[in-house]
Amino acid sequence: MKVAIIGSGIVGLSSAYFLSNSAEVVVFERRYPLYGASGRNTGGITTMLGNKELIDLAKRSMKIYDDVQGEVNFNFLFRKDGYLKVAKNDIDMEKLEKEYYLQRSAGLKVREIDPFEIKNMIPGFNPKSVAGGFYGEGGVIFPWPVIWGYEKGCKARGAEIKPQTEVSEIVVENGEVKGLKANGEFFKADFIVNAAGAWSNEISRLAGVSLNNVVIKEEICVLESLKPFINPYILNVSNGVYLSQSARGEVVGGIVGKETNELNTSSSLDFLIRYAKGAVEMVPSLKGLSVLRQWAGVYDCSRDGMPVIGETEVKGFIQANGLGKHGMSIGPAVGELISEMILKGKSLNNFSPNRFQS
Amino acid sequence: MVKDRKIVCRCEDLTEDEIIHAIEEGYDDIESLKRYTGATTGFCQGKGCLMHVLRILAQKTGKSVDEIGITTQRPPVNPVPLYILMEGERE
Repeated sequence: MKVAIIGSGIVGLSSAYFLSNSAEVVVFERRYPLYGASGRNTGGITTMLGNKELIDLAKRSMKIYDDVQGEVNFNFLFRKDGYLKVAKNDIDMEKLEKEYYLQRSAGLKVREIDPFEIKNMIPGFNPKSVAGGFYGEGGVIFPWPVIWGYEKGCKARGAEIKPQTEVSEIVVENGEVKGLKANGEFFKADFIVNAAGAWSNEISRLAGVSLNNVVIKEEICVLESLKPFINPYILNVSNGVYLSQSARGEVVGGIVGKETNELNTSSSLDFLIRYAKGAVEMVPSLKGLSVLRQWAGVYDCSRDGMPVIGETEVKGFIQANGLGKHGMSIGPAVGELISEMILKGKSLNNFSPNRFQS
Repeated sequence: MVKDRKIVCRCEDLTEDEIIHAIEEGYDDIESLKRYTGATTGFCQGKGCLMHVLRILAQKTGKSVDEIGITTQRPPVNPVPLYILMEGERE
């Protein structure tokens, strides 16, 4: 069996990793691994998501990360010091509380946390900056070694990864995929997996399948390195400001992105100003630190917030996209699902691309 | 020996041997080499080390400096403290 995977981000590589023991796998990457969102995010990992299906994928992914880094002998620098969602007002606290009951019923270890307890957890945190928060499982992973480790593992299992190889055509005959053309060459495939992240809409169009995911642009910056003092990953759900400290001590953070029509990754001063205000409000002691570097990334989100995973009306053309901002948290388990769909014929209605057709 | 340690990148404390090792591991284009070693991502953002890294990469791969290219240059040009940025007008 031949499987062509388009995109070498976390979803594409995780799919390749699980499939390559039983199938002939080629991964097509238009630029280089790390070019897309899997190489541009801040590595926030959480199981504190909004519904049971996503929570199950996130729980499974944490386990897969542990297994894979041992199997491929590559340290993902996964620091599990927890994930903190804070809110500035009562309305947002109520939303978090609703999520909390759902998360508890899904078996997660989550609890409400008092602003003063957050201050004990993070020296320098301003308890007056938030109305409250919830604290649960998760932490910070370093996305680069994750991708390198998966690349190494995929290659060891016989998969081929082709960087700088742009897919220009998907060949469909009688409603069934036959293969694809990339860099002018034809590759035969029984299955084609669209794991192209923000570029998934374009790839889907090549197969004649409508997708219509929303593209989000998000900006991030890095501050100077400090001795570790921020252990959990913090997300302020009221203004979208998030930050954490990397394994190298750098304070890395951003602001949850907005819908965009252009796939550009330009940086803005406006972002730095808003981030400086939001970050210093929560942790005033950061104000003397300098921004060393800023960048932006693009990712895709489905129209109902659930990932798009499954076979389309074109036989053999499989969507594996629309993960939104949870790509690193659920990507490994999405890859496992894709392999089970292809190898065992498993299907899941909640994620099916067909749910948007009416 | 201490005198054999040629420091290439002061911010991230990288030696020439470590850069060569990374190239031999297969991180042999400038963007991958940057991410794998951390060179050009410290306080100087490459102002002190990029040319040294380019020279080593050119010597090891036989490519010209022009062929290798340079890493994407990201703002700001010099580090800017948050307390200054905070004073900016929003939108």
